[in-house]
Amino acid sequence: MQETQQRQWDTLRQDTAQRLAAAEEIVGPGKLVRAKDVVKLLEAVIRPGDKINLEGNNQKQADFLAERLCRVDPKKVHGLHMVQSSIALDSHTKLFEKGIAEKIDFSYSGAQAGKLAQAVQEGKVKLGDIHTYLELFGRYFIDLIPRVALVAAYQADKDGNLYTGSNTEDTPVIVEATKFKQGIVIAQVNEVVDHLPRVDIPGDWVDFVVQSPRPFYLEPLFTRDPALITDAQILRAMMAIKGIYAEYGVQTVNHGIGFDTAAIELLLPTYGEELGLKGKICTSFALNPHPTLIPAIESGWVKNIHCFGGELGMEEYVKARPDVFFVGPDGSPRSNRTYAQIAGHYAVDLFIGGTLQIDEDGNSSTATASRIAGFGGAPNMGCDPHGRRHASGAWLKCGAESGMAAATLGGMPRGKRLVVQLQETFREKMAPGFVERLDAWELKEKAGLALPPVMIYGDDLTHIVTEEGIAYLHKCRSLEERRAAIRAVAGYTKVGLKADPEETRALRADGIVKTPEDLGIDPARANRSLLAAKNVRDLVKWSGGLYQPPGKFKNW
Amino acid sequence: MSYGNGQKMSFLEANARQRANWLVDEGSFTELLGPQDRMTSPHLPALGEAVSFDDGVVTGVGRIGTRPVFVISQEGRFIGGAVGEVHGAKMVGIFRLALDAYKAAAEKHPDDLDAYRPAVVISFETGGVRLHEANAGLLAHAEVMDMIQDTKGKLPVISLIGSKVGCFGGMGFVAAATDAIIMSPLGRLGLTGPEVIEQEMGKEEFDASDKSLVSRTTGGKHKYIMQDCNILVEDTIMGFRRALCDLLAQPYEKVCACRRIGSYQLVKEQMDLVALAVELNPGDAKDVWRYYGNEHPEQLPELETAEFLRVVHRRPKEVR
Amino acid sequence: MALQHLEFSYEGTPGATIPMEWFHSGVVGSGDMEVLLTRREQQGKVTVKVCTPVRGFDQVWDKVLARFVQESGCGDLELEINDNNATPFIVSLRLKQALQEARGGEPA
Repeated sequence: MQETQQRQWDTLRQDTAQRLAAAEEIVGPGKLVRAKDVVKLLEAVIRPGDKINLEGNNQKQADFLAERLCRVDPKKVHGLHMVQSSIALDSHTKLFEKGIAEKIDFSYSGAQAGKLAQAVQEGKVKLGDIHTYLELFGRYFIDLIPRVALVAAYQADKDGNLYTGSNTEDTPVIVEATKFKQGIVIAQVNEVVDHLPRVDIPGDWVDFVVQSPRPFYLEPLFTRDPALITDAQILRAMMAIKGIYAEYGVQTVNHGIGFDTAAIELLLPTYGEELGLKGKICTSFALNPHPTLIPAIESGWVKNIHCFGGELGMEEYVKARPDVFFVGPDGSPRSNRTYAQIAGHYAVDLFIGGTLQIDEDGNSSTATASRIAGFGGAPNMGCDPHGRRHASGAWLKCGAESGMAAATLGGMPRGKRLVVQLQETFREKMAPGFVERLDAWELKEKAGLALPPVMIYGDDLTHIVTEEGIAYLHKCRSLEERRAAIRAVAGYTKVGLKADPEETRALRADGIVKTPEDLGIDPARANRSLLAAKNVRDLVKWSGGLYQPPGKFKNW
Repeated sequence: MSYGNGQKMSFLEANARQRANWLVDEGSFTELLGPQDRMTSPHLPALGEAVSFDDGVVTGVGRIGTRPVFVISQEGRFIGGAVGEVHGAKMVGIFRLALDAYKAAAEKHPDDLDAYRPAVVISFETGGVRLHEANAGLLAHAEVMDMIQDTKGKLPVISLIGSKVGCFGGMGFVAAATDAIIMSPLGRLGLTGPEVIEQEMGKEEFDASDKSLVSRTTGGKHKYIMQDCNILVEDTIMGFRRALCDLLAQPYEKVCACRRIGSYQLVKEQMDLVALAVELNPGDAKDVWRYYGNEHPEQLPELETAEFLRVVHRRPKEVR
Repeated sequence: MALQHLEFSYEGTPGATIPMEWFHSGVVGSGDMEVLLTRREQQGKVTVKVCTPVRGFDQVWDKVLARFVQESGCGDLELEINDNNATPFIVSLRLKQALQEARGGEPA
């Protein structure tokens, strides 16, 4: 009893109070901070070795705060342990070059993947773990709790209330994990206003607000120009629609980014309509607001879409379609990545995406030997969620077809998520899409990772779609049969050349492999005339002028 | 695809051979030095670069009404339509044939020459010189320019610009020297290409990845407002073909009146325009559009071609 | 670095050639190719000349072309291909399209 009385139970809170007092000497009373005081503020509230969360994912970025963090005095602030969704900006790697930060736990790195790999090899960065978004968010509440969070919002008022609008994304989870463990939250905003359209983050969870000189950086990552879609992509899309979506009656869907899935979206109102599938497939999505989905939405295919983030140019369109998208009482859209990831993990029957390499066992990876690209959210969609207990037609059918379930579950019935890879047998410059050994193994050695970074494991993958055909992998009764099914659709790659024609014929007879011919698809029909929109301008027309593409995509 | 369906096709999405075939009267096009002649570049193989049987340009002759029409149609998908030795020689050859045809027509139809006067039509899709064979490419530019001068007073040379690559580099000069320019809003015309401007002047000055900016500074609508393009048409083969037929139906003098350079008066007009630009110091093409009386310049890019043509105010031919 | 010239020959179907002397199809864009088909009376043989900047894929060309000749049932033909990094799928597709057009399907 005595010991308990002596122990202090609020050391974190007291430490925070000290830091805030030091900050007040610099920025004065109130939450609003001038841009020029930010470096001093950061030096006052951050201590060496702190875990720092720098907001930014594949869309919005707290870029101003990141850039200012690079300018702190490394003698005062060093040894930081960064915990953040993505490594996307030059400033993110610069923190390590300058000796301000030393360790990182993250989920995704896009443009910085090459630099990161190099920095790890040179010993400038201690690599923690590479996560999926949900598991990283989970660790924010267990063993990667941020001491200080630097976040981004569209607007704030003087009390620190934040409006994150259509790019709410990771802000709620970061702020909650930080603030409720007595941490400090600093927000950069595009503007400070008297009245917010709505409050996305309550002001008493936010310690400081700074109006950044430039609006935060936003990447239109989910826009695909229909003008660049190829015949091969259209063929794979036709096969996916007829051989998978229609075959299983898939209604709840997540699409990975890419031209293949854009082609599927643009074929729904044409080829899908022709097959009489409207209302039977693709009614609900966990999906970013893909502009290429506009024609399907406008033709009445889609009931609802929940978004992981926003998409530049789609704001007004989303706002004007509240029956389809999630918008707040103020009428403007919101996106909360955590909820969308949960929806994508548990509530959709099908994930479909593309990858760089698939090995002979069906494991796939986007890693190359010289780039640490991370995972993002894909593995949470591209897997069979073992916690799922609700049933649906597609999930039950896929489970019932499972060739190896009896060996592990006995006679107990169970459903299965459809996890589909759309794969080109060769990409440009003849890079093979099927390989005997993933580059991920080499990256594991070079970067000292515990495991090769695999995006989707072979035992989760149910279907591969290539120009050669669809392999229904989950139907296979042994690993050897799965390998044969993969070889059968791997075309002229080294893996594909090992296919035995007799074996392939047997797999076709069993419905484990289906060629375009087996599916009743004429490859000659696979051309751009099937696309509901052939260019970005067509998308704008479909949207009645509501979609306002950024200049990068607007060739008029 | 049939000739009839071809007419409805996007000029931008069509390939060079389709454009050549469908611009002239149905079934009238004969390709000269076509793929069967296998006249590939002598330089590219040594550099390990892919070759094409037509070296990236379709050349031939067809008819529009009673008139022979000599066609040069560049293919942007082959090395960006860049002009190498064979490509350039084919262009020059077409001009020679057209001049011969002019001589024959002038002798045969001295009283009715306008109905039989040959024409040269160039569908541009190029960034100019092919760097792999730059000397030959540069020489070809000079020779084509020379040939254009030889056509003056004899036969019209018409530029069509509605392709993906547009018309840049040395070929921008060549287009400027032709009698008339027909563009679609998707056509691009300039001297220094957007990427090169960005490379030389920096992204702050010119962001070549901003397609909307590229369109506002080099696109068909802007060039039409500025009078650098004479006729603006929809992005269909038919759109270009109709404008071409209408233009060629005019007396030759009227076609010549479309020229944008080549006289003291026209040079003065261009110089005045430069002076005006210095005075206006526009931050964006939209500032210039507003200056010429377009009250809502930001709306012009959004308009369909027909609506745009109805409402747009162009630069008056006398600058001030 | 020079361009590669590959030659192949297959036993095709005698007489199963094209109705015209020659037929051309395709554009040598990046990742694409053109093909010139020429009628040749050569006991059904299909001879192929490939000109490509890509090295090390001779076996893949052989397999793709053999399958095309077998599946299309063509013969007495010479094919000349100018390739610029076309994938095997694109090669198969372009060859099929060219033959279809030449045999009186939709002309290009």
